Amino acid sequence: MADRQTANPSGPDTKPAILCRHLWKIFGPHPTQILQAITAGDDLPSAHAGHVVAVRDVSFEVTRGETFVVMGLSGSGKSTLIRCLLRLAEPTSGELFVAGRDLLALSETELRDVRRRKISMVFQSFGLLPHRRVLENVAFGLEVRGEPLREREARARAMIELVGLGGWERHYPRQLSGGMQQRVGLARALAGDPEIMLYDEPFSALDPLIRREMQDELLRLQATLHKTSVFITHDFAEALRLGDRIAIMRDGRVVQTGSPEDLTLAPADDYVAAFVRDAPRAKVLSVRRIMRPLPADAHLAEGPRLRARDRVETALPIVAATDGLIGVCDEDGALCGCLDRGDVMRTLAGA
Amino acid sequence: MAAVSPSLPRPTTLQRGVWLGLIGLGLLTAAVLWPAEARAFPASWNLGLRAPIDAAQDWIIVNRAQDHPLFFYFFEPLSAALDTGLRLVEGALLTTPWPVLVAAAAALGVRAGGWRLGGVAALGLLGIGALGVWEPALQTLALMLVAAALSITLGLPLGILAALSDRVDRALRPVLDAMQTLPTFVYLVPVLLLFGVARVPAVVATLIYALPPMVRLTSLGLRTVSPAAVEAGRAFGATRGQVLWKIQLPLALPTLMTGVNQTIMMAMGMVVIAALVGAGGLGREVLLALQRLRVGQAFEAGLAIVILAVVLDRLSDAFSRQSPGAATTLAPALCRDGRLQFAAVVLGLAALWAGAGAAGIGGIPTTWRLPVREVVDPAVRWLRDNVFAFEVAGLTLGTGPFSDFSTIWLLNPVRDFLSIWLPWPVLITAVAVFGYALDGWRLAAASAVSLLLVGLLGMWAPAMDTLGQVLATLVLTTGFAIPLGVLASQFDRFRDALRPLLDFLQTVPSFVLLVPVIMLFNVGRIPGIIAAVLYAMPPGIRLTDLGIRAVAPEATEAARAFGATRVQSLAKVQLPMALPAILAGINQMVMMVLAMVIIAGLVGGAGLGLEVVTGVSRTQAGRAVEAGLAIVLLAMTLDRVTQRLAKGEDRGPKSAG
Ligand SMILES: Nc1ncnc2c1ncn2[C@@H]1O[C@H](COP(=O)(O)OP(=O)(O)O)[C@@H](O)[C@H]1O
Ligand SMILES: [Mg+2]
Repeated sequence: MADRQTANPSGPDTKPAILCRHLWKIFGPHPTQILQAITAGDDLPSAHAGHVVAVRDVSFEVTRGETFVVMGLSGSGKSTLIRCLLRLAEPTSGELFVAGRDLLALSETELRDVRRRKISMVFQSFGLLPHRRVLENVAFGLEVRGEPLREREARARAMIELVGLGGWERHYPRQLSGGMQQRVGLARALAGDPEIMLYDEPFSALDPLIRREMQDELLRLQATLHKTSVFITHDFAEALRLGDRIAIMRDGRVVQTGSPEDLTLAPADDYVAAFVRDAPRAKVLSVRRIMRPLPADAHLAEGPRLRARDRVETALPIVAATDGLIGVCDEDGALCGCLDRGDVMRTLAGA
Repeated sequence: MAAVSPSLPRPTTLQRGVWLGLIGLGLLTAAVLWPAEARAFPASWNLGLRAPIDAAQDWIIVNRAQDHPLFFYFFEPLSAALDTGLRLVEGALLTTPWPVLVAAAAALGVRAGGWRLGGVAALGLLGIGALGVWEPALQTLALMLVAAALSITLGLPLGILAALSDRVDRALRPVLDAMQTLPTFVYLVPVLLLFGVARVPAVVATLIYALPPMVRLTSLGLRTVSPAAVEAGRAFGATRGQVLWKIQLPLALPTLMTGVNQTIMMAMGMVVIAALVGAGGLGREVLLALQRLRVGQAFEAGLAIVILAVVLDRLSDAFSRQSPGAATTLAPALCRDGRLQFAAVVLGLAALWAGAGAAGIGGIPTTWRLPVREVVDPAVRWLRDNVFAFEVAGLTLGTGPFSDFSTIWLLNPVRDFLSIWLPWPVLITAVAVFGYALDGWRLAAASAVSLLLVGLLGMWAPAMDTLGQVLATLVLTTGFAIPLGVLASQFDRFRDALRPLLDFLQTVPSFVLLVPVIMLFNVGRIPGIIAAVLYAMPPGIRLTDLGIRAVAPEATEAARAFGATRVQSLAKVQLPMALPAILAGINQMVMMVLAMVIIAGLVGGAGLGLEVVTGVSRTQAGRAVEAGLAIVLLAMTLDRVTQRLAKGEDRGPKSAG
């Protein structure tokens, strides 16, 4: 299945923050041999007993400031992919440019420097150090890169304040609730002021209410910090709230990449369709996507016009109050399409 | 490990039973018809280890006397350094006034585990003083501390290496196994030869014995640190060293402390044996008293060893329980007012020292004595007169006659059956068949080769004697331990009552256990067996109890819901489900019985133990080493077989392919 790469929405001049080309990761004793066999066309599962092809020819790019979401069922290779971005798992083959460097060409020391300054990660199981207090956990990254005690503690305190944990500095992780622990994980990742943040299902272990709270927290932070992010989740609602673009993974492959709208309206296969089936379509789809072209003999209803870039959800009150065709304007205020109540209802019904 | 190649269908239980029966019948016929002159293992088949080992021994003796460079530049300075270190620690302990030591023990106890532990530590030391063995106890403590400190300083880096590199781990494993199964007596000879007589060989022998748990638990602790924590460290750019120091070691600390605890306990187990090579201290007191058959005195020294062991165990155990990050006593001690407290304690101790020094207080006054021997000696005398042998209606009854009776009618026939009557090829074949039935070719081959090697070492007859004793002991031990364990699992009060007794049996030096037994059962093989039963029972009882209690309550509840009586649910649910744990207990008991059988060699237990002891006492290294290797081979075979049993029957379709 070919990857469906969506055109970069922010324009061609922006250099991608992450560029990943034909990435493979095979676990097992002889990964390169297996890769050769597969590329030579011998892709029978029996041929590579004892090996797991966790990431299979994955390509994507993430632009600066964008939040790129990776979704997929458990075991589809999401964690392996994100771990490759930090070379916590060593890719078997492929190209990887992260934060302007050829990641796979870096020496051990250079790689460490990238991990210390450029990219940080938030883990599903939090990955906190139980023998250290909150303050020392948050300061960990600064400590290993050798910052003096006073500075790193000041910075860590600021980060703890930022994620709303002021006053908990001297507690140990196990004295905190799950949501608070992940706030510590977030503060720890932000403390080094990295360019890129990697999130591996950071909220999956939390209760739904807390999860929602943490998503709000992340949106709030992202509104000021604008970090380039790769976010893994298996919850489509979460992907919709946080992501600019979504890649869907299955058995190590990316089966579709696109905006939430693309995936909802044109799922590439049943697997993707299953993910988007319960999507709140009014929240996902924009008016532009469901309007029809302006007929020549247009007879538009009087009253307010809809904006093409609005979500269907925001247009609902107007649609409810208006009979007949409603005009839709683009950014410049010029009429570019129209729709009626029936169009909206059919869309929401998923037809 | 599948017994049969995966493509073949597995034979049914019935088929296997028939086959085994046929083979058994065949072996029996062979055994009966075997020519009498070919039943013993041929003496001419010998590996011939004895001569070269004895030659090496002579070389060492001669060259040490002539200051060969190996000794002049290596062993002698090493020996001198160890001796100096030991003297320093011993001197420091002996010159410290007793109130300071007691107060320091209390402070350590309070910090490790609260006021109760502080009280236990202080009372323990006072109790040792009241037993009249203050000085020897401090000598023993010094030796233990030096040996344990050496074990830790050597074991920690080795354990770290083993955790970081699979290759080091694989290389170390057999060495550690050998260090733990080799009877201590075997390496006493080379250690004595290389390090000279005095206290140094005792330190070295204790070190060899106590090192393995430190290495193993360090490696285990580091390897079981949560991979998530290590990965987080790597993700933030920590170097390998930073991951080790800032993440793995702190998180492995509880396991490391368990290693320290185990090391100390192993070292304590060596106290009496160390005295055999000149260690002094409590071990020497025990040995001297035993030689003069002063049971009360030996009992006092033995009790002091138990107390010392219990105090050290509780202290190190309390430290190992302090999990990282929990708000325990250690955490506040390291920060905030903890430093202040620490300073206050140190100041207080110093003041106490100055005061006591000025008042001329040294060791505990000898007039403060608990009248222990005054109670024990008459009791022993009474037992001797009334239990050992007494006349009833013209018959001599008592433990003495019992001992003679069971030796003549039970042990001797078993020994003669194994070592004289049973043809050696039949026994080896039988063991191989058993091994095959259990676990396939590998176990069969390993067991057969081990037994053959025992014969080739020239140790067949004594080994069969030992095997007979081990089997008899094992039957007895299992017969006592499993019912007791079942009872303990059913009745909490019984278990609570049993616990201190089990603790005592596990910490009391085996020699001390032998004393009253010898008094009652005479010298010979019976006291060894009885002491071994006492010594080996605790793990069997504990594991049976634990196994039954660990059975999921849902399973028992389900049985109850179907109207099973308590006995039914025990027999049909709890016992079958606890079987692996019980078999693991039997495995532990086998190993402990074997260890004890060697010591029993000292009191007329004969067999391999006697060979080793004779070899050591006559400095015949070759003989001691041959017998020691035979013990190791026997231990390995019994260990493998019982471990395989403990792992359970073929676990379903997995092994069937
Ligand atoms: N270290 C490893 N060794 C072998 N196989 C692995 C390893 N890590 C992951 N895998 C396998 O790779 C596949 C993808 O796993 P993962 O990336 O964790 O999936 P996800 O995060 O989507 O649940 C799984 O089949 C998993 O068993
Ligand atoms: Mg995952």
